[in-house]
Amino acid sequence: MLNQDKTIDQKIEQLNQEIDWFYGDEFSLDHATEKYRSSIKLAEEIKKDLNSLKNEVTVLSEDFSKNN
Amino acid sequence: MSEKPVFTVSQFVDICNQTLDLSFSEIILKGEVSSFKINQGKWVFFDLKDEESSINCFMSLYQMRMPIEDGMTVMLRGTPKLTKWGKFSFTIREVMPIGEGNLKKSFELLKAKLEKEGIFDSSKKRPMPANIKRIGVISSTGAAGYADFIKIIDERWGGLKIDVAHVQVQGLGAAEQIVHALKYFNEHGEVDIIAIIRGGGSADDLAVFNDELLVREIAASKIPVITGIGHEVDESLSDLAADLRGSTPSNVAQMLTRDKKTEVTKINENIMRVSNILQDKIRQAEDSINDSIKELRQKIILEIDAINSKLESSIKILEALNPEKVLRQGYAILSGKVSPGNVVKITTEKQEIKAEIKDVKSR
Repeated sequence: MLNQDKTIDQKIEQLNQEIDWFYGDEFSLDHATEKYRSSIKLAEEIKKDLNSLKNEVTVLSEDFSKNN
Repeated sequence: MSEKPVFTVSQFVDICNQTLDLSFSEIILKGEVSSFKINQGKWVFFDLKDEESSINCFMSLYQMRMPIEDGMTVMLRGTPKLTKWGKFSFTIREVMPIGEGNLKKSFELLKAKLEKEGIFDSSKKRPMPANIKRIGVISSTGAAGYADFIKIIDERWGGLKIDVAHVQVQGLGAAEQIVHALKYFNEHGEVDIIAIIRGGGSADDLAVFNDELLVREIAASKIPVITGIGHEVDESLSDLAADLRGSTPSNVAQMLTRDKKTEVTKINENIMRVSNILQDKIRQAEDSINDSIKELRQKIILEIDAINSKLESSIKILEALNPEKVLRQGYAILSGKVSPGNVVKITTEKQEIKAEIKDVKSR
């Protein structure tokens, strides 16, 4: 799945996994810079998403007084 | 008299009722309850009076959704009617006690009844659903409480779908509308949680949330219900029946959403921590390389020292064995065959001497 198709929560989860890598046994300096850059990019993307996402408010057209 | 229309009694009662219907299809009366009684466990009768007048009132027990008793001041919604026995009566559709004291009494009576039935049992409460994507809001879109709720939600999080059922949130008829909205959300089953929102108000304004049918509908909702009614101090039976209660509409908005500012702070802290880890690891790697170089250099120096020291002792041995050194001490070297009559060479520090051997004796 491309990053742009993911929800904010999925992106946050992905970022958490990328960050966990730095604390885990699989950490290697050879890949660390690349991973760090990709984490920074993802973090910036999440922050941008958080600031741009709007809620969708719909006032229902039903008349709830009609059966009164 | 013959020119005037002649009615049977039944026709006259019908005409009276039609006239009443046209004039007062639905009216609201306010007065004090007197001679309250329940017949056959189904029908409620009482008189509604003020200082000068009194009217007979009638309703089914099912419609009495807030307990009332003699002496209470109430608001009634209903229609006037002439019965076939010629008695004038007011048929009630909805009754609501008014005034703080009456409301409190009605609240306590209904609370005790519903408590006995287990409507408020904490074991029935459901937790806040995880990952809320769609919220059903029941409120009046013109109310300040609703505006606060939407403002806080928008400030805190995005990407949510919020379906709003615009209803009356106070006065006669409001409870019925809220019940319809609850049924609507439950029938459509599209929202993750239902929020009933209403800002602060007087005891009379908030009385609608102590309606028995509404309280039962909240308790029976298949979808979890959260209430944000009035202020912290206002406790309604709807609050007690709901799965979750926020102290105010704004508080409900906070309970339903994460805060994007907190999320951004968390992300920044995580990135900072990772950056520190990375720097530490690079520093550790540099330290380790430097240590290895130092160790190697140390080994080389030791090796060179060992070679030097070996060399020095060899030189010392060689120096000790140098014949010149012996000659300098006054000794001489004799070369040639040592036998009488032979000429041999004697080497001293400064001279080479040829000498003939005269005699050889053992020592």
